[in-house]
Amino acid sequence: MSLFLKSLKELPPFGQALGMVLDEADTGPGVAVLLPGAERLSGDAEEAVFHSGVILATIDNTAGWCIRDHPDYLEGTSMATLDLRVDFVTSASLDETLRVRAVCEGFDGDVAFVRATAETLNTKVLIATGQATFMLGTPSTPNPASPATAKGGCLE
Amino acid sequence: MNKPVQVGGAAPSFALAQQQLIKMPYALFLGVSLRQGSNGLETLTADRADLIGNTNLPAMHGGVIGSLLDITGMLTLVFLKALDRSPRLIDIDIDYLRSGQARPTYGQAEIVRGGRRMANIRAVLWQDDPERPIAIGRLQFLLPKT
Repeated sequence: MSLFLKSLKELPPFGQALGMVLDEADTGPGVAVLLPGAERLSGDAEEAVFHSGVILATIDNTAGWCIRDHPDYLEGTSMATLDLRVDFVTSASLDETLRVRAVCEGFDGDVAFVRATAETLNTKVLIATGQATFMLGTPSTPNPASPATAKGGCLE
Repeated sequence: MNKPVQVGGAAPSFALAQQQLIKMPYALFLGVSLRQGSNGLETLTADRADLIGNTNLPAMHGGVIGSLLDITGMLTLVFLKALDRSPRLIDIDIDYLRSGQARPTYGQAEIVRGGRRMANIRAVLWQDDPERPIAIGRLQFLLPKT
C-alpha cells in the first residue's frame, strides 16, 4: 500500500456518510474498503439487506482510490468517472460488513481502467462485481503531467 | 419520459411507488422524493453537503448519482407496472456525462422492454436542464414473482 493511502485521513463526505473505512491491514492487490452494515443502508425495511446503490457507491469510491494508489499516479491529478458497470450477484445481509476490492488494470496519462469486487467480510460470499473507466486530469484541475501544472487533489 | 411505455394491464400507481419509497431506508437517507407530472413519475433529490464526493469542485459523489439512477429506475418500474413488491436490480451500466453540481437533481426512467420476468430500463438524471443530463443508466431488473 502506498504512502498516499497510509496517510489518507479524509474520506469524501459521502464516503463518511455511508461509513466507508479504508482496510489498512489489507495487503492487496489493489485497495480494499470496508463498509459495515447499518439501518440507513438498507434496501428494504423488511429484508435488512444492503441497497444495491450502497454497493455501487462503495465500488465507485474504492475504484477511485485504487487509481490514486497506482505507482504512476501523480498526486493532485483530478479524475472523473466516465462509466461504471455493476453486476449484483446476490444480496448481502446488513449483519455483515462488505469488503470492496478494486484493482487498477490499465493506466496511462489520460485514462485508467479498474475492476472491483464486493464480498462479505466474514462469509466471503461474492456480492457484486464492477468495472469502471476514469478520465485523468479533467479540466477543473489540470493534469500535473501537462505543462499547466495545478495543485489540489480529488477524492472521488 | 416514462409516460409512453405502458406494459401489462395495470394502470400506473403513484401510491404504490410512494409506498415502495418509504420502505426503502437508503432512498430516504439520500432524501429522494417523488412527484407525478404530466410527463410521468419524477424523482427529486435536494443537494446536501454529505452527498459530495469531490469537495474541490464541489461535485456530487459518483455513488450518489448511480444510486439515484437505481432508485429512479426501480420506482418507475413499480409505478408503471403497479407492483406491490420490489423488483431486484440485476445489473446497471452508467455513463457519467457531466459532473453533478451541488444542486437539486431530477430523475426519470422508462421501460425499454418489459417482459414477465425481466424489465430493461433506461434512466436519466439532470439538474437545471432536462436536455443536459448529468448521467444516464441502462438497468436490468428481475420482477417479483406473481
